[in-house]
Amino acid sequence: MNRLILKPSPKARTKALTDMNVNDTPSQDFKRRDFLKGGSVASLMTLLGGVELFDQAAAEPAPAEDVSGPKLKVAVIGLGPWGREMLNTVARVKEAEVAAICDNFPSAIRRCAKDFPGVATCEDYKTILGNQDIPAVVIATPTHKHKDIVLDALKSGKHVYCEAPLANTIEDARAIALAAKAAKQCLFQAGLQGRSDKQQEFVLKFIRSGAVGQTVLARSQWHKKVSWHAQSSNPDREKELNWRLDKSLSLGLVGEIGCHSLDLTARFLNAKPTAVTGFGSLLVWTEDGRDVPDTIQANFEFPGNVLFAYDATLGNSFDAAYDMLYGTNAAVMSRDGKTWMFKEVDSPLLGWEVYAGKDQFYKDTGITLLADASKPKPAGGQAPDPLTTTPLYSALENFTRNASDMIQAKKSYIEAHDADDVEGLNEQLSTGVLLRPAAGYLDGFQTTVAVIKANEAILAGRRVAIKPELYELA
Amino acid sequence: MKIRTLIAGSFALLMAALPLQAAGPNVIYTSAPGTNSSKIWIEGTANVIHTTWYVKGITIAGMIEVGPGFPAEPGQAVTPGKMDVQATNVFIRVRNLKSVEKDGRLYSDHMDNVMYEHLKADTYPMITYRLTELTLKEAPKAKDAPYVFDSTGMLTVGGVTKSISMPVNILPLEGNKLKITGSPRIKMSDYKVGPVELAVAGVGIKSGDEVKLDFEWTVRQRALPRPAASK
Repeated sequence: MNRLILKPSPKARTKALTDMNVNDTPSQDFKRRDFLKGGSVASLMTLLGGVELFDQAAAEPAPAEDVSGPKLKVAVIGLGPWGREMLNTVARVKEAEVAAICDNFPSAIRRCAKDFPGVATCEDYKTILGNQDIPAVVIATPTHKHKDIVLDALKSGKHVYCEAPLANTIEDARAIALAAKAAKQCLFQAGLQGRSDKQQEFVLKFIRSGAVGQTVLARSQWHKKVSWHAQSSNPDREKELNWRLDKSLSLGLVGEIGCHSLDLTARFLNAKPTAVTGFGSLLVWTEDGRDVPDTIQANFEFPGNVLFAYDATLGNSFDAAYDMLYGTNAAVMSRDGKTWMFKEVDSPLLGWEVYAGKDQFYKDTGITLLADASKPKPAGGQAPDPLTTTPLYSALENFTRNASDMIQAKKSYIEAHDADDVEGLNEQLSTGVLLRPAAGYLDGFQTTVAVIKANEAILAGRRVAIKPELYELA
Repeated sequence: MKIRTLIAGSFALLMAALPLQAAGPNVIYTSAPGTNSSKIWIEGTANVIHTTWYVKGITIAGMIEVGPGFPAEPGQAVTPGKMDVQATNVFIRVRNLKSVEKDGRLYSDHMDNVMYEHLKADTYPMITYRLTELTLKEAPKAKDAPYVFDSTGMLTVGGVTKSISMPVNILPLEGNKLKITGSPRIKMSDYKVGPVELAVAGVGIKSGDEVKLDFEWTVRQRALPRPAASK
């Protein structure tokens, strides 16, 4: 019996990897996306012979986990639109407890505090760093403000989740990465959430298996009609809120949004870009004094002459956001947390096809990929909570669990060994603890370097080489 | 009770007992520092053909206190027979155990939670072992070969204590260290730990009763404080 592969999309995965750090939250963006998924996109994929690649573990009902043990107390620093999204996501992580929120604007705190009664609030992040009961911080401030907070947090022994890009200059990004590297008893996670996304983990394995053949091209887009301009009755606050529109502070669309697509593609290609050519224009939002382009294109050159084309605009929303990888055997498209494969007619048969479910699409036969089929899952159960299967949720969940394991491992090591054996403890924590997938300081640094150079290329309208030594930390 | 408190308590008792011992000083070993100083690897089966599950732990805490005749140097001549072991207490935190793939990568947080629940981690956070008897079977034939012992001790899992016997290899290492290894097989039902039941790809599976546990624990000699000088 034929079975339709293009399943109704769970709301859980509506947030594309590329749809981040923007003023409108996923909930505001949901209806249009839902329509696109439920209608045109799904239909289009079917007509084009799309085969959905999905992670069964993510698609099936989430385990009804009875989480016991102490919760990790987490503070969220930076309560802008994206910070609020992160705050709400941290609150959904079963093993996390929002212990404090911080922003330098009281109105931002008041806005969030309504939803988190009893949670400590402060305007100075150092108050949180001085609180020994809070072992972990999530930093969601404007990019150019990350460095001081990260360095102080690591110095205070906090586990740190820092949004990506790490910084708006290579010097600051390097300082962050070096501090994270040196802080062996602290977990540092860069906010490249695709690295924690089970679906992308699965697609990565699929691509690395060689199933798509030789990679010939990659392409991503992020299209949205939105101003990126935030308003406030307080002029100082408004200026601060609109840091993304100031090219002296912001890495623009390629940095604030494109870093996630670039990281994903670089990971798929297992390489780092060697050069980037970019162009940008300010075409639509010309009345608010911004100097950051609202429409950009960047062409990244990867080793082996593989090109990755990225374009983004704030002037048109058609076709929204997605990431493509083209190989000689198949193309793979990721959008809205789902993945499809488009096979070439001359591509070889894959071994698992014999056993996999098959569906007829227009002129082609679709093959269902079931990743993690051997992973335990509860029988029956309810549909997954749409808010707990996003890449951001996975990233913050992994951060919480990894930080908790670091704390547990430290405690156990000190119990088992001499308390003053700092070297042994550092070694144990930096190499001995099993960690869930997450972007580390080097991932964050290298992606930040690439988007900084890309933004440089876009603003100058030229090709910029990225020397290999730029990716090196020291 | 915290592991460190348990170790410290054992250590204090030994200190108090020292003046009563006539033949030479005993030696106390505690977990050696370093990432690879202790490893726990547990393999279990399930009621589905070719299904093996794995659990890994990275920290073993505890102490062992031995008499003067205990092999502390490679190739040291030791007469086979019952060894003078004053105390051995070993602790493993249940929540330090993680389900893993065969290659050691983390497997599933859900599996971990199920495991912690079955092992009653919240009520009994530690798996403990207390050695009661250690007998050297034969002296090693080569200098770099381990001493092979038969051991008997009390293993507590999930609050249930049972006697367990197993062969144990002890290899003296440079730096006053001992590498202790063993591979006991344990029936989980002996400890009132029921089988784990899960659904995999829609098929219900149940874990097998017997598990194989491989451990490697490196301990380092701990300096004893000098006894107070008598007047």
